[in-house]
Amino acid sequence: MGVAAIRTEGLTKRYGKVAALDHLDLDVVEGEVIGYLGPNGAGKTTTIRLLLGLIQPSEGHGEIFGLDCQRHPIEAHRRLAFVAGEANLWWSLTGAETLHLLGRVQGQVDKAYREELIARFDLDPTKKVRAYSKGNRQKLILIGALMARPDLLVLDEPTSGLDPLMEQAFRHSIHEARERGQTVFLSSHIMSEVEALCDRVGILREGRLVEMGTLAQMRHLSALTVEATFSEGSVPDLSGVPGVSSVQVDGRLVRCQVRGSVEPLLKALVAAGVTELLSREPSLEELFLAQYGVHGKSPDTSHDAS
Amino acid sequence: MQAEIADKKEAQVGRWPGTVVARLTARGAARSGVIWGSIFAIAIASSAISYSGIYKTLAQRDALAVAYGSNHATSALLGPAWQLQTVAGFTVFKVSMALMILGAVWGLLTSTRLLRGEEENGRWDLLLAGQTTRRRATAQALGGLAAGVFTLWAVASLVTVLSGLDSKVKIAAGPALYFSTAMVATAVMFLAVGALTSQLGATRRQAAAYAAAFLGVSYAVRMIADAGVGMHWLIWASPLGWVEELRPLTVPQPIALLPIIAFTMVVAAGAIHLSGTRDIGASIVPDRLATQPHLRLLSGPTGLAIRMMRPTVIGWWVAIVLSSFLYGFIARSAGATISRSSVEGLLSKLGAPGTGADAILGVCFLVLAALVAFVAANQVTAARSEESGGRLDHLLVGPLSRASWLWGRIRVAVVVVLVDGLTAGVFAWLGAASQHSQVSFTTLLAAGLNIVPPAISILGVGVLALGVWPRAAAIVVYTLLGWSLFVVLIGGIGVTSHWVLDTSVFHDMASAPAVPPNWEASGAMVAVGSLAALLGGFAFRRRDLQGE
Repeated sequence: MGVAAIRTEGLTKRYGKVAALDHLDLDVVEGEVIGYLGPNGAGKTTTIRLLLGLIQPSEGHGEIFGLDCQRHPIEAHRRLAFVAGEANLWWSLTGAETLHLLGRVQGQVDKAYREELIARFDLDPTKKVRAYSKGNRQKLILIGALMARPDLLVLDEPTSGLDPLMEQAFRHSIHEARERGQTVFLSSHIMSEVEALCDRVGILREGRLVEMGTLAQMRHLSALTVEATFSEGSVPDLSGVPGVSSVQVDGRLVRCQVRGSVEPLLKALVAAGVTELLSREPSLEELFLAQYGVHGKSPDTSHDAS
Repeated sequence: MQAEIADKKEAQVGRWPGTVVARLTARGAARSGVIWGSIFAIAIASSAISYSGIYKTLAQRDALAVAYGSNHATSALLGPAWQLQTVAGFTVFKVSMALMILGAVWGLLTSTRLLRGEEENGRWDLLLAGQTTRRRATAQALGGLAAGVFTLWAVASLVTVLSGLDSKVKIAAGPALYFSTAMVATAVMFLAVGALTSQLGATRRQAAAYAAAFLGVSYAVRMIADAGVGMHWLIWASPLGWVEELRPLTVPQPIALLPIIAFTMVVAAGAIHLSGTRDIGASIVPDRLATQPHLRLLSGPTGLAIRMMRPTVIGWWVAIVLSSFLYGFIARSAGATISRSSVEGLLSKLGAPGTGADAILGVCFLVLAALVAFVAANQVTAARSEESGGRLDHLLVGPLSRASWLWGRIRVAVVVVLVDGLTAGVFAWLGAASQHSQVSFTTLLAAGLNIVPPAISILGVGVLALGVWPRAAAIVVYTLLGWSLFVVLIGGIGVTSHWVLDTSVFHDMASAPAVPPNWEASGAMVAVGSLAALLGGFAFRRRDLQGE
C-alpha cells in the first residue's frame, strides 16, 4: 500500500472549552476523490486549515503524502493547491496578474491548461479583481489551483457562487483531475456535487467524523425506502414487522423504511395482498439528513404510523 | 404572556430602522473620536500649563514675542503668532496648526473608512437592503460622523476648560470652548470632504488620496497667504485659513465660522446628492476596471508587498520631500530670528541646543522622525491587513514559509524607512542650500540617517505585536508612536523622569544636526528593534493565522 495522500491521527483543535475538531482519524488514498460533509460549524474548514498548517492542532497530527503538516509545511505545500470558499484576493490586481502571482508562489503552472481553464470557465482575465462578481472571483481561485496540476487538490466549498453551467465546468475539471491520478479533498454543502464526484464520503458532526465510507457502504448500512399499494380495505399494520420503521399510511399507500433483511417485510406485504411495490436506496442528501435528525436522532427512527 | 414578550422584543429590534446607518457610523467614529480627542486635549493642556514654567518673566515673554511675532518663515509654517506674551497666545501658536492638520487627517481618514471603505467591503450593500435609500444612507452616515466629531470636541473641550481653571493659565470657559471648537473645525470640514471624495473615488485609498490632495493644496495656499509676500487675501481661499482667521484666545473673529459652516454644508450636500446619482460600488471619477497585466513585481510575496504598498509609500515619500525641503528653506531665517532669544531654551529642552539653523533643523528633524516612524507603523498594519483579510492564506498554502513572508515584509519596510530618512536629509539640504545656509550636505545626510533607528524600533515592536497579539498590532504601534511623541513633548516642557523619558523611541535619538548623531544609541535602538522583530517572527511561526 502506498503513502496516504492525507492521514490524520487524533487531530484535535480546541478554542477554549469548545472542540472545533475532536480526534479526527482520516485516511485518504492517493488518487481518491473524497467528499467532506457537515453543516456550518461542524469543523470542515478547521480540518482544512489544520492540514494546510494555517492553524496549530491542540492534539494529534496530520500528514500530507507522509509529510507532517506542521513540521514540513513547505514540502507538503509543493504537492497541493487550495481553493478557499471566500475568494479574498488583491482587489487592485487583474485576473491575469493574480493567476501569474499564484503560479509563481506555487512554483508550477501548466500554461496551456491555464488558458484552457480560462476559456472553460469563461473568465475575462483583463478585469481587476474588484470588478469581478463573487462567482468570477471564485472561478479565478479555482483556475489558480487547477492550473498547477498538483498531486492534491484541497477544495473548501469551491463552487459557492458558481452558476449551473460553471458547476458543470467544475465537475468536468475534477473528473479530469481524477483521470490524471490527482487526489481531491472536497468539502461541500452541495450533495449532488459530492454524490456525482466522490469515491468516498465523510460526514462530520460537531467536530467528530460520524460516517466514512463509499456511498454503497453507507446505503447498505442505511434504511431502504419502500412504498407499497394495497387493494381497498386490506392495508396492514406494518409497525410490528422486524426492521421496519417510519411507517406512513396515505389511503391505500403505505410508505416505510426497512433496515437489515427485507424478508419479514416481504412476507407481511404478500400476506396482505400488495398490488404494487416500489423500493429505492436513500440519496446522499437523505443519508446526510438522517445524521442530522431532530435532537440528534435519525428521522427514520421516528414512528408515526396512524 | 410569551406572545407579549415576543411582541415587545420585535418592537425593540425594529425601533428606528431608518437610523441603522447613522448609529453604526456613529459607533465607528465615536471610538476614534475619543482617542484623538484625548490627543488634542493632551497637546492643548501640556502647552498651556508648560508656558508659565518656561517663560517666567515678562522679559522672557517679550523676547519670545519679538522672536516670532514678525517671522514670516515660522508664520508660513505654523501660522501667525499673536500675543505670545500670554499663555493663550502661546498655546494657540504652539498647537493650533498641528491640531488643525491632525483634525483634518482624522476627518478624511474616518470619513473615507466609514463610507467608501464600508462600501468597498460590501457591507454597504447589506445596509442599503434595509429601509433606506442611497442618499438617505449617506445623510445618515454624515449624521453618524457628526456624532463622532462631537465626542472629539467634547473630550478636547473638557480638558481645555479644566486646564483653563489652573491659576497660572487662567482661561475662561467661554474662550476655552471657542478654542476647542476652532481646533476641531478642520475635522468637521474634512469629514465632509472625505464623504464627498468617497463618492468620487472607487476605492478607499483613492478617496483618501483625493481628500489628502485637497488638504495639501489648502495648506499650500495658507502658507503663501502667511508668507508675507503681500498675498494675505489668499487666506480666505483655504479652509485652513478660515480656521486660522477664527483667532481663538487672542483676537477672536467668529465671523470666520460662516465660510466653515457654509463649506461643510455645501460639501456634505454635494456628497449626499452624488451618492444618489451613481450605482453602489461605482464612482463618479471613471475607474479603470480592466487593464493590461503588469507582471514585473509579481514574482513573489515581497514583490507583491512592494506593488501593493507603492501608492502609499510614494505618498509618504512626497510628504517627507516637501516637509524636509520646507524645513531646510526656513531654517536660516528662523534660526537668525531665534538667536540669542529665549526660544533657544525651549529648543534646548527639546534636545536641540545651540543657535541658528542647526537648532531649528534639530527640532524639524524630530517632526521628520515622527513621519518616518509613522511610515514604519503603516507597514506593520499593512502586513496585518494581509493576514486579517484572508489574502495571506493564498500565499502560505504554497511552498512558502511564514518566516520568508514576514522577512520579506520587514525587508521592504526597512528599505522604505531608510530611503525616507536619507531623502529627508537630502531635501533638507537642498532647501537649506537654496537659502545659502551654512549646513553641510554630509551633516544633513547624517541627520536623515539618524531618524531611521526610532522607526526601526517601532517596526520591531510592531512585528512583536504581530507575532504575539496580532489583533492589537495596529493599536500597539500607533499607541507607542503617539506616546513617544507625547513624552518628547513633556520632555520639552521640563519633565525629567528618566523612567518616563526612556519609554519614548525618540528620547535617545540625538537632535541632529543641532548635535552630532549618537550612533551608539542609534545602534542600540536598531538592536532592540531587531530583537523584538526576531521574537515576533518566532511567535508568528508558531501561532494560528487570525482573521479580523
